Amino acid sequence: MINRRDFLAKTAAGAGAGLVLGTPGLLSAASTGSPSNKLNVALIGHGKQGQVLFESMKNIPGLHFQAVCDIWEYNRKIAVGHVRALQKHTPKDYENIEDLLANEKGLDAAVIATPDFWHSPHTVKCLEAGLNVYCEKMMSNTIDGARAMVKAMEKSGKLCQIGHQRRSNPRYRFTLDQLINGNKICGQIVNANAQWNRAVKSSQNIAYAEKLTIKQDILTKYGFKDMHQFMNWRFFRDLSGGAISDLGAHQIDIFNWFLGAVPKSVYATGGNSYFTQREHFDNVMALFDYDTPQGQVRAFYQVLTTTSSGGGYWESFMGTEGTIKISENSATTEIFKEASPAPKDPNAPKDPNEKASSLSWDNLVQRGFLGRKAAPVVAPVAGGVTDSRVSAPPEGFSLPGELNKPPHQPHLENFFASVRGEAKLNCDARHAFLSEAPIYFVNPSALSKQPIVFTPEQLSV
Amino acid sequence: MTTESTECCKSTDSADSTECCKSCPLTHLGYFYAALLLRIWLAVRAIQTGLEKYVGTVGSDQPVMIDGKPNVHGLTAATNIKEYALSHYHGVPEGLFKKFATEPLMRLPGPIEDGLKNIYKSMGGKINGEKLADAPAAWEKFMQEPVMLNMYNLVLGPALLVLGFTILFGIASRTSLFLLGLLYISLTWGLILIKQDDGISWLGIHMILVVMALMLAKYNSFCLLKKW
Repeated sequence: MINRRDFLAKTAAGAGAGLVLGTPGLLSAASTGSPSNKLNVALIGHGKQGQVLFESMKNIPGLHFQAVCDIWEYNRKIAVGHVRALQKHTPKDYENIEDLLANEKGLDAAVIATPDFWHSPHTVKCLEAGLNVYCEKMMSNTIDGARAMVKAMEKSGKLCQIGHQRRSNPRYRFTLDQLINGNKICGQIVNANAQWNRAVKSSQNIAYAEKLTIKQDILTKYGFKDMHQFMNWRFFRDLSGGAISDLGAHQIDIFNWFLGAVPKSVYATGGNSYFTQREHFDNVMALFDYDTPQGQVRAFYQVLTTTSSGGGYWESFMGTEGTIKISENSATTEIFKEASPAPKDPNAPKDPNEKASSLSWDNLVQRGFLGRKAAPVVAPVAGGVTDSRVSAPPEGFSLPGELNKPPHQPHLENFFASVRGEAKLNCDARHAFLSEAPIYFVNPSALSKQPIVFTPEQLSV
Repeated sequence: MTTESTECCKSTDSADSTECCKSCPLTHLGYFYAALLLRIWLAVRAIQTGLEKYVGTVGSDQPVMIDGKPNVHGLTAATNIKEYALSHYHGVPEGLFKKFATEPLMRLPGPIEDGLKNIYKSMGGKINGEKLADAPAAWEKFMQEPVMLNMYNLVLGPALLVLGFTILFGIASRTSLFLLGLLYISLTWGLILIKQDDGISWLGIHMILVVMALMLAKYNSFCLLKKW
């Protein structure tokens, strides 16, 4: 019987197997050669997201947090305290990344969680200094910034993983590899739909204590007009892509990854329904058109920062035979089998790899690919007559397992395993760029109220 | 072990057998069985309830099996395993504890509570703060707010176990049953405070059984200590 340690070792290696938009995983570094395999890490940015990443990295053995960098002294103290509590070592702290890179020797990697408009400069500097980089998504606030990151990665020969953490999530990888591609439970995917709806209360300005205000000359030096802008950079057009990149980038990446394609056009609309004083739209809806190997797919995405309606955040892939609604939140994940599968087109060419759909679902449950949910309850229809056009309720199924660690941890594990030469990146900068590039055109489409048909140049480095 | 004289039982129709065999199991076999059954029931009820205070669950993640083999994606299924350990101890269930903690009658009278705290502090302990190395661990738990509830929380499990075993082995059976009755009264009082009428009725049945066991105590046999 396989024990848990063997299992984790094997699955970590498996997780390194590549995919491009469906098969990323291009690069891995040579082994560090360190006898202990210890990796010296610099933490660049220790705000809210930096702390989320640190909580995941705490669980990864072999990491030594050598130095921390943040322009806010308050965050630096938190970072130093976190590191000291973890490894009984006080890391050197820096306000400026140039000072850190000049003074710290022996660094293997940098983990960057700074505001979006600093991602590209920070990543490029670290790559040029010979460090491997894990950088939070969105790659940059501008598409040219993202392009610079890809070029710097390829020029330096170092690794650059972008923080689309779902790409390393076992639930997502299992769903794509085993359910969508392997057993084709959706049949032909014809539509996709995703949302991140967040209540007004969760979208408020981030407040700060006056006594902790950063000096104005430091704020100005690092591109912030004032402390409010520093705390709320996500709402400003020069510093961030707004909600569509903050939240949407994760899920639009899943469209591209799962469909194995990039969209050919986007048509978006947005506005300021509630937060009328913000530069960025508070609600955005975007429609992407894809030509996939299976056929046309339309993908609708909405990010609403003014209501949590519809169950928060998830991505749904709708097919002729079934639908997979997946989310980082397992409670929102559901799988449905169409009550009446699509009749087979007698003229369609025979696919030798096609699964026999009529028997596959029960069989998949027996084999462990799916869990089964309770049968749907059909409410009696008033008058006893059912409209013949109404579809029968679909049968519900579930994913057979969970992710047993923080959601960012597998992606960070994949990064550090790649730095050690033991795996390949699941989302290197080039593949992240292919996935993120269309997102840079959502706001322009919404502002111009015009669809944008992508040219190859727009989506290439 | 105390043993019964069986001499008189050889001729239960003898003139003096009534006095001689009051406690003879064979003379009052029905009463003897009744006492024994009640004794075992109450003991098992108390012991297992006490043991359950030491129950916790330990999560275990097992790989999801596909076609009988662990999946290669790292997908795991969580299973919770029940486990008994001192570290899991919880006298009063967490949900009830929170309810009781807000009850004003759960507080000791001020002077008594202050006195206990002063003794504790003089021993190097801190109240609701960091535990000092030289502060006794038991006291540390004892003295956190609310003091009386914490004391009760700490005592309840061991008390059920001790009384369960003393009743089972017949050690001072009557006194043990009396103390068990008091314990059930204390539980009843708590449930009255938070208005759990179902639980009160449930404990009322326990009280009836304890009283019946006391009334049948004279027919008790196989006791390690018959006195008290």
